Amino acid sequence: MRWPKVSFLFIICGMFLSAFVPGAYAADADFEALRKNAAQIKTIQADFIQTKSMKILAKPLISEGRFYYAAPDSFRWEYLKPLKSIVINHKGLTKRYIYSGGKMVEDESGGAQAMKIILSEINSWMSGNFDQNPSFQATLKEATYTQITLTPAGQNMNGMLQKVIITVSKKDAAVKSVNIIESETSATIIDFKNTQTNKSIPESMFQDIE
Amino acid sequence: MKLASLIICVFFLSACQTLPVITQATPPEKTASACPNPFLKQKTTLIHAIEVHMAGGIKSAVIGVTEADPTTREISCAIMPAERMVLFEAIETNRTLDVRRAMSPFDSAHFARNMLEDIKLIFFEPLGNIEKMGFLPSGEEACRWRTGNSDTIDVLKTGSGLSEVKLYSGSGKVKRYIKFNDLAGGFYQNIELRAQEIASYTLFMNLVEARPAEN
Repeated sequence: MRWPKVSFLFIICGMFLSAFVPGAYAADADFEALRKNAAQIKTIQADFIQTKSMKILAKPLISEGRFYYAAPDSFRWEYLKPLKSIVINHKGLTKRYIYSGGKMVEDESGGAQAMKIILSEINSWMSGNFDQNPSFQATLKEATYTQITLTPAGQNMNGMLQKVIITVSKKDAAVKSVNIIESETSATIIDFKNTQTNKSIPESMFQDIE
Repeated sequence: MKLASLIICVFFLSACQTLPVITQATPPEKTASACPNPFLKQKTTLIHAIEVHMAGGIKSAVIGVTEADPTTREISCAIMPAERMVLFEAIETNRTLDVRRAMSPFDSAHFARNMLEDIKLIFFEPLGNIEKMGFLPSGEEACRWRTGNSDTIDVLKTGSGLSEVKLYSGSGKVKRYIKFNDLAGGFYQNIELRAQEIASYTLFMNLVEARPAEN
């Protein structure tokens, strides 16, 4: 069993990290400012609520979890409910864990290793390189919120995504939401809250799953 | 020569297994309403957290979304990994399968057909004729359906009230074994499916949500 080369999770993480920039960003509002300011982020931690809408679901599927990041490339994306799972990436090693038999066990289906393939793209996003990634065409719009829209440009995203819209608060420059539109009938909105930046995160958070 | 004949005999004997005997109830009422029925009673959308155990002890997990209508036998289904991206989406109406989205590892030619057949086996009463009704020697209440493609489906109810489904090939080999556990609110909270194939697998399906269609 092999998972797709481009993981949804990495897209989410990449979007989040690259769009989270200090307040100066809102004023400058250009991609150069994004790149410059993204470099100031050392750690991020936030809660998230993920709302999955599909044509066959009368009511969206709601998931909740917590996200941690430490520069340059460590992260932990943890779903707490309804289905527990964790993906951690630390020092070049990516692992996915699932809840099985009352405990977290490693998913050895190959999914985590497949994720490594797109880490180079993630690093690009982490650096605020929205407009330099050949996989996406980026546009920026200023309204009540700042909106960055990414549209797949390369073949490797074909059929997976229609577009990604990142909404950033002008007031505190925090990412409010990421809207991933997969198709006309399927979309995922991730709302972030309780976001904290540059607060110390123990290294064990990216090594231990308990 | 004798050894070769013996090997051939053993091969054929082992290949042709025998279905368990069902002692018929008296008088036999060969109507489905008298059979164990763990299947859906109305159109329902179900969300399951599915643990997948594959050959070699490999484990993975996905979320399965199924909309199934036992009256029309129409199915819509989708599979998502933990990160909730839809990797597979298909609809079957009037026995026509329409795969809307299929990404690796769910993009093989047989995957969609096998998955839809598994879904029907879990949620729909079998098609075909009821061949026998009664009890197995071990005491389970049983109904046996003969399907159009020479397979046999046994639907069982144990003394403790648990339901099971067994799909046998024409040679009597168990191809699928389904165990329904923990009935609550009209829906089984845990369903276990064991598939015996060249690449065998087991699914542990934990119900996250069941939403009957509004009339």
